[in-house]
Amino acid sequence: MFRYESLEDCPLDEDEDAFQGLGEEDEEIDQFNDDTFGSGAVDDDWQEAHERLAELEEKLPAAVSEQTGNGERDEMDLLGDHEENLAERLSKMVIENDLEDPAIMRAVQTRPVLQPQPGSLNSSIWDGSEVLRRIRGPLLAQEMPTVSVLEYALPQRPPQGPEDDRDLSERALPRRSTSPIIGSPPVRAVPIGTPPKQMAVPSFNQQILCPKPVHVRPPMPPRYPAPYGERMSPNQLCNVPNSSLLGHPFPPSVPPVLSPLQRAPGFVGSPLAAMNPKLLQGRVGQMLPPAPGFRAFFSAPPPATPPPPQQHPPGPGPLVQNLRSQAPMFRADTTHLHPQHRRLLHQRQQQNRNQHRNLNGAGDRGSHRSSHQDHLRKDPYANLMLQREKDWVAKIQMMQLQSTDPYLDDFYYQNYFQKLEKLSAAEELQGDGPKKERTKLITPQVAKLEHAYKPVQFEGSLGKLTVSSVNNPRKMIDAVVTSRSEDDETKEKQVRDKRRKTLVIIEKTYSLLLDVEDYERRYLLSLEEERPALMDERKHKICSMYDNLRGKLPGQERPSDDLFVQIMCIRKGKRMVARILPFLSTEQAADILMTTARNLPFLIKKDAQDEVLPCLLSPFSLLLYHLPSVTVTSLLQQLMNLPQSAAAPAPSNPHLTAVLQNKFGLSLLLVVLSRGEDLQSSDPATESTENNQWMQVMFMATRELLRIPQAALAKPISIPTNLVSLFSRYVDRQKLNLLETKLQLVQGIR
Amino acid sequence: MNYMPGTASLIEDIDKKHLVLLRDGRTLIGFLRSIDQFANLVLHQTVERIHVGKKYGDIPRGIFVVRGENVVLLGEIDLEKESDTPLQQVSIEEILEEQRVEQQTKLENEKLKVQALKDRGLSIPRADTLDEY
Repeated sequence: MFRYESLEDCPLDEDEDAFQGLGEEDEEIDQFNDDTFGSGAVDDDWQEAHERLAELEEKLPAAVSEQTGNGERDEMDLLGDHEENLAERLSKMVIENDLEDPAIMRAVQTRPVLQPQPGSLNSSIWDGSEVLRRIRGPLLAQEMPTVSVLEYALPQRPPQGPEDDRDLSERALPRRSTSPIIGSPPVRAVPIGTPPKQMAVPSFNQQILCPKPVHVRPPMPPRYPAPYGERMSPNQLCNVPNSSLLGHPFPPSVPPVLSPLQRAPGFVGSPLAAMNPKLLQGRVGQMLPPAPGFRAFFSAPPPATPPPPQQHPPGPGPLVQNLRSQAPMFRADTTHLHPQHRRLLHQRQQQNRNQHRNLNGAGDRGSHRSSHQDHLRKDPYANLMLQREKDWVAKIQMMQLQSTDPYLDDFYYQNYFQKLEKLSAAEELQGDGPKKERTKLITPQVAKLEHAYKPVQFEGSLGKLTVSSVNNPRKMIDAVVTSRSEDDETKEKQVRDKRRKTLVIIEKTYSLLLDVEDYERRYLLSLEEERPALMDERKHKICSMYDNLRGKLPGQERPSDDLFVQIMCIRKGKRMVARILPFLSTEQAADILMTTARNLPFLIKKDAQDEVLPCLLSPFSLLLYHLPSVTVTSLLQQLMNLPQSAAAPAPSNPHLTAVLQNKFGLSLLLVVLSRGEDLQSSDPATESTENNQWMQVMFMATRELLRIPQAALAKPISIPTNLVSLFSRYVDRQKLNLLETKLQLVQGIR
Repeated sequence: MNYMPGTASLIEDIDKKHLVLLRDGRTLIGFLRSIDQFANLVLHQTVERIHVGKKYGDIPRGIFVVRGENVVLLGEIDLEKESDTPLQQVSIEEILEEQRVEQQTKLENEKLKVQALKDRGLSIPRADTLDEY
């Protein structure tokens, strides 16, 4: 304000002498240098600036009120004006390095010209920044965020009433995103979310894509010809000077992902390398890189409502990569696609084409879709998440699905689809019904790379860093395991430990069982020379399973039943035994069966809560059909706890009672009896000793059965049909009837 | 399912109105704006809905960022069917009051139960103090 060339002119009264003295002394040294006191120190003549501003403010409301007479406006344009200055200042802060850019300087200067546009309430705010943004077009995407910040820094507009006709989303968008056309999805000819890296020909863009000429949209580089190509032929677009179609600088993370996948043969699932509908349409004779093409494909449907499921089976998505990027793009190129995918893609294009044709007319989809689309259109906060970001998340999800052994890693999915395919194959065989298309996600088969962990090393240092990480864990604590002596432990703890040990054995055996069950599949997948090795492994595992079950104690004649019984007390153990039985040899299985029969009452008691024993019935029955007569006889003996000699009848037979009162026990008994009967009746020429044995046992059995009171007998799972004939051999009529009623063997009684 | 059949992805759910149930029992309703690979959610125009019996009350909450691990389930709200509910909306004060009353009665019932069991010499151990054999 006080512009004085030298201090001498300063009208200070008291210190005049002193200052003058100073000035005379140091005339050589320019103490009062220009920077501080001279022309260099141009401080803002804030008073004058303020004056100017005030004048403007007076002028503007006057001008505007002349135009519209709307009092509210004044405030608006004032704001606009303020915003302009603010924007200007901010822009100066931001684009320091571009100040010499003539384009920018011009833009800044030309902004006031845009301002007093009739009927353009919004333009004062939005156009300013848009102009800026247009200029910024050629700049790199990294600088875009600064623009957004700039826009956010602008003061908020108070919401306007008379703006319903305006598309709110169109207004909201420029603040944040670089993609222009999100507000009106159906009109979209260029995909969303493609950061405008380059200036493009804006003219046709505006005509076609901007229904409202007022809004100066940042020009979208038409890098992807409209998949629905109604308005311009793809060839046109291709011939548009667009280096944007090629060599598009993709986000840096993508290329490394693509390259290993590109090496993988066959289908590669990657969200980035998706089907480009253009490829399929075969219109373009020019190569398009897969990555941008993916976006084109994706952005077409999703921001619009995803089509209802019944119309549109799940899209093929990011399943196909055009590996041979140099190959010409025509339909024939899709031959490497899975036929399902190709069909689906074709469908999808059709649908999209239809969608766009029906755009303005009544769509097939009816009011629901259109209202939803309207809703989307009116949603000013839509698409905060850019397409690029969505793709990024999808990419991560796909990466998580890569596996070397999909059967192992993604068991349920693989099984599910196998079942579905079997079903559809079966259906196909039956009749030519409409084949339902089921898409399957094909994940890339990535070769497992062995990573040898190398600890971090610095150049020229003497030692190695001892850094512990997840790949290189270090022992932190020296924990010594001390097992206490038996005396210290209480009974409870012993029981608990024993139970725990049993559980551990069950778990180990179960793992073996799962492996054994899997061998069949592996066998089919393996090569010829590997097969014997597989078979050996399988046998070995079966043996270990059996040993686990029965308790491998070398040197003992017959290991105790204890371990087996313990296992059978646990629900999981019972189910496991049921699954193991088919794999065991006949002798081993018979042994298991005997042990079960011997300890059946105990097991029954323990099974009271779980009620899982019946699951054993079916493998046992299967087994029985392979057992010889001798075994069956002894089995029956065991089951009924019959005394060895027929001489002395036991006073009571709680064993048998327990067996009969249990569903499983009774069923097993009946099955055994039935089997015995089968053996007897089928093979009359058996050895007499066996016959005799069987007869004896049967006599005893029937005696027992007759003896037991008809207490609450269990309901067996199934009643073999030949029991009546069995009993008829050994008892007379009267007792037969008795037996029948007691055991409810005759269907009518039930 | 558009992108990747056979997988579950939230990408198609973006910009749609959702109901999110959190692990602490809260129910949030809002527009799902953004997600990430952990299913962290950004909800816009969120409303916390408290249900007591047949009544519910909405507390407007603004923008929510939910850490993915705290989500129990979430589902899209059909905007057309949204108003088609037998539940009755009440004011916030009322619903908070109702909730307080409900909590109180629950506590009292619990106390009575525990007392009754104690009288009979039984005790139900709390889940956090249970020791797995």
